[in-house]
Amino acid sequence: MSFTLECPNCGVREVTDFGFGGEISVRPAERPSFRELNTYNYFRRNVAGVQREWWYHRSGCRAWFIAERDTTTNEVKSVSLP
Amino acid sequence: MSRLDQQPGELIDRTRTLSFTFDGKKVTAYAGDTIASALYAAGRRTFSRSFKYHRRRGLMCASGQCPNCICAVDGNPGVRACTEPVRDGIAVTHVNARPSLEFDAMRATDIFGSRLTPPGFYYKTFIRPRRLWPLYEKILRNAAGLGKLRSFQPEREWRTEYRRRHADVLVTGGGLAGLYAATAAAGLGADVVLVDEGPEPGGQLLLDGRGRELAALVAAAAAAGVEIIDRGSALGCFDGLVPVWQNDTLHQIRAPQHVFATGAIEQPLVFAGNDLPGVMLAGGARRLAALYAVCPGTRAVVATTSDRGIEAASALHALGVEILAVADLRDGESAAAAALKAEGVDVLIGHTVVAATGAKQVEHATVTPVGATGTAGDHNFDCDLVVVSGGTIPASSLPLQAGATTTYDAERGHFAISSLPPGVYAAGELAGAEEAELAAWSGELAGLRAAAAVGLGTEHSAARVAELEQLLAGAERATVTVAPPVSGVGRGKCFACICEDVTSKDIHLSIEEGYDSIELSKRYTTVTMGPCQGRMCQLPAVRLMAQATGRSLGDVGVTTARPPWVSVPMGILGGRPVEPAKRSPIHGRHRELGATVRWAGDWRRPYDYGDPEGEALNVNRAAGLIDVSTLGKLIVRGPDAGRFLDRLYPNRLSDLAPGRIRYGVISSDAGRIVDDGTVCRIDDETFYVTTTSAGAGAVDEWFSWWLATWGGDVRLTDVTQGLAAINLAGPRAREILAGVTELDCSNDGFRYLDAKQMQIAGVQCLILRIGFVGEVGYEIHCPAANGQHVWDALMEAGAEHGLRPFGLEPQRILRLQKMHIIVGQDTDSESTPFGAGMPWAVKLDKDDDFIGKWALEHYAQQTPATMLVGFTLPDGELPTEGAVVLDESGDPAGQVTSARRSPVLGHTIGMAWVPAAVAQDGAQVTISDAGRQLRAEIRTRPFYDPDGEVLRS
Amino acid sequence: MNLDFLTPGTGADVVARSSMESQSRAAAGRFELRDGWNVAVEYSRSMDAAAAAVGWADVSHLTKLELQGESDALDAAAGARLPFGAAVRRHDAWWCRLTQTRALAVGGQPVRGDAAGVDVVDVTSSFAALTLVGPLAREVFARFCAIDLRPRVAPVRALRPGSVGRQPAIVIREGELRFLFLFGWATSEYMWSVVADAGTHLGGQPLGVDQLAAFPIAEADGA
Repeated sequence: MSFTLECPNCGVREVTDFGFGGEISVRPAERPSFRELNTYNYFRRNVAGVQREWWYHRSGCRAWFIAERDTTTNEVKSVSLP
Repeated sequence: MSRLDQQPGELIDRTRTLSFTFDGKKVTAYAGDTIASALYAAGRRTFSRSFKYHRRRGLMCASGQCPNCICAVDGNPGVRACTEPVRDGIAVTHVNARPSLEFDAMRATDIFGSRLTPPGFYYKTFIRPRRLWPLYEKILRNAAGLGKLRSFQPEREWRTEYRRRHADVLVTGGGLAGLYAATAAAGLGADVVLVDEGPEPGGQLLLDGRGRELAALVAAAAAAGVEIIDRGSALGCFDGLVPVWQNDTLHQIRAPQHVFATGAIEQPLVFAGNDLPGVMLAGGARRLAALYAVCPGTRAVVATTSDRGIEAASALHALGVEILAVADLRDGESAAAAALKAEGVDVLIGHTVVAATGAKQVEHATVTPVGATGTAGDHNFDCDLVVVSGGTIPASSLPLQAGATTTYDAERGHFAISSLPPGVYAAGELAGAEEAELAAWSGELAGLRAAAAVGLGTEHSAARVAELEQLLAGAERATVTVAPPVSGVGRGKCFACICEDVTSKDIHLSIEEGYDSIELSKRYTTVTMGPCQGRMCQLPAVRLMAQATGRSLGDVGVTTARPPWVSVPMGILGGRPVEPAKRSPIHGRHRELGATVRWAGDWRRPYDYGDPEGEALNVNRAAGLIDVSTLGKLIVRGPDAGRFLDRLYPNRLSDLAPGRIRYGVISSDAGRIVDDGTVCRIDDETFYVTTTSAGAGAVDEWFSWWLATWGGDVRLTDVTQGLAAINLAGPRAREILAGVTELDCSNDGFRYLDAKQMQIAGVQCLILRIGFVGEVGYEIHCPAANGQHVWDALMEAGAEHGLRPFGLEPQRILRLQKMHIIVGQDTDSESTPFGAGMPWAVKLDKDDDFIGKWALEHYAQQTPATMLVGFTLPDGELPTEGAVVLDESGDPAGQVTSARRSPVLGHTIGMAWVPAAVAQDGAQVTISDAGRQLRAEIRTRPFYDPDGEVLRS
Repeated sequence: MNLDFLTPGTGADVVARSSMESQSRAAAGRFELRDGWNVAVEYSRSMDAAAAAVGWADVSHLTKLELQGESDALDAAAGARLPFGAAVRRHDAWWCRLTQTRALAVGGQPVRGDAAGVDVVDVTSSFAALTLVGPLAREVFARFCAIDLRPRVAPVRALRPGSVGRQPAIVIREGELRFLFLFGWATSEYMWSVVADAGTHLGGQPLGVDQLAAFPIAEADGA
C-alpha cells in the first residue's frame, strides 16, 4: 500500500504520513438500545468500493479530514474538511 | 582464455586486470567483466548445481534472468554471476553442491531418486513413518536451497540507504524505446528519470554493435536533462511508487506517468537435456560475445522459432564459431535464413532440437523434423554449444503491477499487454514493437504522451503523436512460429522449470492428480516460484497445461505477477539502521548516572540506575526523583473547554476549581478504558491534561477527532514534547521542594491535588501535587529547554535529604504497592472502569451525554465476570505476568497482570483479574504459572498506605 | 495561573538548552549565550564542505508561537494574508498557516500576548529545529523524507508540513539553498543523527548559526 493522499491543508503526501480513522459511522443521537449500541460500537459496513472515511494528517497539520476512497483500488476520489 | 578480438561494443577494459577467487582458485578478469564472463573466459562451464537433482547447470541467459549462475560473493548468497561486476579481490563460491561443484554427492537424487521426488513429494514420499519427518525435513532442507545466509553478522558490512526521487515521468528500461521515450518527454520540459538494469543503457542495441548510435542517444537523453540510473533494478510498482535498487541505494521513485520499456524475455525450448551446460539462449550467447568478447563455444547447433536465432547464428558465424546446423522451427524460409544459407550454413527448415547429451556439458545434439516420431529423421551433431531461441515473452510484470492487463496473442505465442491504466505507457518489445525502428517510434510516442499528460506539449508534439500513431499502425511485423510445448519426450528429462527442477512429466502428473489450474499447479509443483520468478517457465508451464487439458492458453491464463521483480538483499530494503527514538530533555543526565536505558514505547527511558528495589525503598524512606517527561500533555482552552472535557471523561471536570487537579479515566463508547491521567484547571477557560506515556499520541488524536465531530469553541495544543516533567516524591520531598521555591509547601499551603505555578531555580514551573507512587509527591512541569536545569537544581537541593533518582522499574513497584493501574498493562481492550475496580471514576448522574455513557450505564447494572484486584504471595513466590488464575474447578478464569517483590513490605504483591465471586479481601485463588501452582490471597485495597494517610500528609 | 510555564526560562541564572547540544559539542561546535540560550555559533572547520555540499545548524532556540483562532483573526495577527503551502516572512519570523484555525510563527520576536480573537501558546520547546543549507540540502532530505522538494514544486517560501525521518515535521524553504525544518523536541537527538548520517555521507558538515549568513533567507514579503 503506497498510494498518496491529498491533505486538504498540506497537499499530497504519502499515505504513511496519515492515520486512518475508519469508515464514517454516525453516533446515535438518542439513547440506543443495547443492540443498537453494539452495532454502532462493533459493526462496520466494510464496503468493497467507494467509502467515506476519516483520515488524520498525523505527520503534518494534525487535522482530521474526510476522504472518499475506493477500497478495492485505493483510488482517492475526493477529500474534504469535516 | 577464450577471448575474442576486440568487439565494437565490448564493456571490458583490456588495460585493467582484476583478480578474484572462485572456490578458492584464482581467476583473472578485465575491468568491466562480470563474474560469469570472467569464469567462462577461463573455461568454466558448470556454474551451479540444480535445486533438487543437483544437475550441472551452466550459463544460459547471461542477463540475470535464469537461476543458473547463482553464487555467493564474500559469503553473501543469491548473487547472479552473470550480472555482478567483478571487483578486485572478491571471494566467489558456488552454492548448493557438496562437496564440490565438480563432484556433488547429491547428484544421486537425479540418477536414483527421482521416483522419490515427484511434485508434492513432501506430502507423499516422506510422510511415513511419521515420527521420522523431523529427520527427513532436516535432510531435505539441507539438500535444497540456494546457499546459506550467515547466521550472525555483528554489524552491517555495507552502507545502504534510501533516496527519494520525485519525477514527472519514470521510464523503466533503457533500450532503444526507453531512450527515445525519455528524451522525447524531457525535450518537452518534463522531469524524467530513466532506469536501466544493465551496466549501461542500450538493451538490444548493445548486442548489435551499434555503439556509436547508442552513445549519441544516451548523450541526447542526458542533454535533455534525463537522470539516468544504470545498473538499477526496478523492484515493483506500488501505486505509482517504484523502488529501484542500484548498488547500495534504494531509489524510491514517485511519478505520475510511467513508461515501461522493459523489453522481452527470450524463452528456452523444452527438450531432453535442455538444462545441460552449453545449452544457451541466443541472447546469452550474443551477450557473452558482444559485451565481454568471450567466445561461447567452438561448434554450435542453433534451434530457433524466429529470426532471433538466425541473427545469433549469423553473429557467431562471423566470429568464427562453427555453426553445424540451424534448426528453424518455422515452415518457411525467412530472408535472414536465406542469407545465412548463402554463407554456407546448413539451415534445416521445419526442424527443431529434441535432445542434448553429454557428461559434463553438451557433447551431442539431435535435430529432427518438427512433429516427427521415432529417430528416423534424426540429425546428430557433435558440438559444445546449443543455442536456442524459443520466442519471447514481453517483460510485463511491472506494468501488470501498475494495473495493466494481458491476453494471449496466438500469433506471437505469448501473453501480450491488452490494456493500460491511465498514466501508464508501454513501449518497445513490451508493446510488440520488436524491430529497431518500431521500437524507437513507440518509445517516442510514449514519451510524448506522458509529457502531454503532465501538461507539457506543443502543437508540433501533438502533430508528431498523430504521425507516430499512423506509422506504428501501418508497420509490418516479423513472423514467429510457436514452439511445441515439449520436444524429445522419451529421450530424457525435459525441464519446464530449471529453477525448481520441474520436468514436463511432473506437470503432466500434477494435472492427472487434479491440479489443473495454473495457480494450483504453481503451488503444487512450485513452477514459477523459483529465482527466475516465471521468466523462463511461466509460458512453458502454461503451454504444457493447455496441451494436456485441451484448453486454450488464454483460458489457462497466467499466475499473478508479484514484486519483487528481481531478488534483492534485505539490507537494501532495510535502509539506514537508525530507529526513531524520543528522549527526554534530561536524557543526558540519565546517561551520566549510568542508567539502564530501554525502550518504553517509542521512548528511550531509564529503567533503573542499577538498584531498582533500593531505588523504590529510598522513595518510601527518603525521597526520589523520576523523569516523567514522557507523559502526554495537552492544553485544552476555550469557552467550551469544560463542557468538552465533561463529554470526553466519565467523571465531571467542568466544576473543577482553578488550581485543582482531578484524576480521570477515558473510556470509549463501548465503555472500555482507553487511557487515564490527570486534569488540572489553570483558569476558567484553560485545562492542562496529562495522559499516559504510551497513550499521548492516541489521546491527542482522540480529542481532536471528537472536536472535529462535535465542533465547539475549544483549542487543543499538544505540548507533550515541549515540557519536561519530574516527579519528586517521598517523605522528604516537601523539604526539598521548600528549599528551591519561595512557596508555602506546608500541607495546608499546598494540599494533595493542588496545582501551583512557581519558579524553581529561576524557571517557571507548574507543580501538581499528586501521588502515583504513593508518597507525598510533586510533579514538576517546566519547559523542555530548562528540564536539565531544573533536574540539576532538585538533585543538588535534595542531596542532603537522601534524594536519589529512580527509574521506571522502581516506579512500577511503588505504584503497584498503591494498586494504581497502568492502562494497557493491568487493563486491556475489554476492561471497564467497573471491572477495574474504579466505579468512582464514572459519574452516571451527569446530565449531559458523554462518551461511553450508554455502555457504562449498562455495565453498572451488571456484575462483571472478572474483576481487577490485588493479591499477595510469600516472599520468593513471584508469578510471571500473564500467569493464569484458576477458578474453583481448576479452569482458567483470569490472569495476573502485574507482580513484583515489594521491598518495603518484604513479600510479593500483584494485580490480577479474578472471578468476581472471589474478588474480596482474604479470598484465596490459585495461580498456575508454568507448571507451578501458587496460592495467593486477594486484597482489594492498596498494599501500602491503604487509607492514603501518607499521601495526604 | 497562566501558561507562562510553557515559555523557556532565559533569566540571569538560567540557561536554555537544545537537546542537540551534546551532539553539537561532540562535533566541536563553539557555543555562545544568545538571549539566554546556549547556541552553537560556529564550527572551527572551514565552510567549504557546506558551500560545496551541505551544512546543518541547530536553531532550536528560535521562538515558536502557536496561534489559534478564526482564519481572518490569524491573518490579522500576522499582518498579512496567510496562505496554505507558503510561509510569510514578517518581523524576522516565518508565519505559517497549518489549518484554517491554526498557525505557527517561527523566529524573531513575534507579537506575544493575545491578539484579538487569537489564542497564543508558546511552543518554543515543543519544536526543535535544524537549518539545512547548500547545494545538496535537497538531496540530503531525499535520504529520509518523501516530500517533493523539487524547486519547481516547492519554490522559495514553500511550507510543507509532513513526515521527515519518519517523524512529524514542518519544512520551510527559507531561501534558494536554505531549508528550515521543525520537529518534535524529544526527537532532537534522533533527528540530528539522521541528518548528520546522511549529510556527512554526502560530504557535508555541521554549521554554527553565525555561519548561515552565506545562505540568505528570502527577502521579507511586502504583503
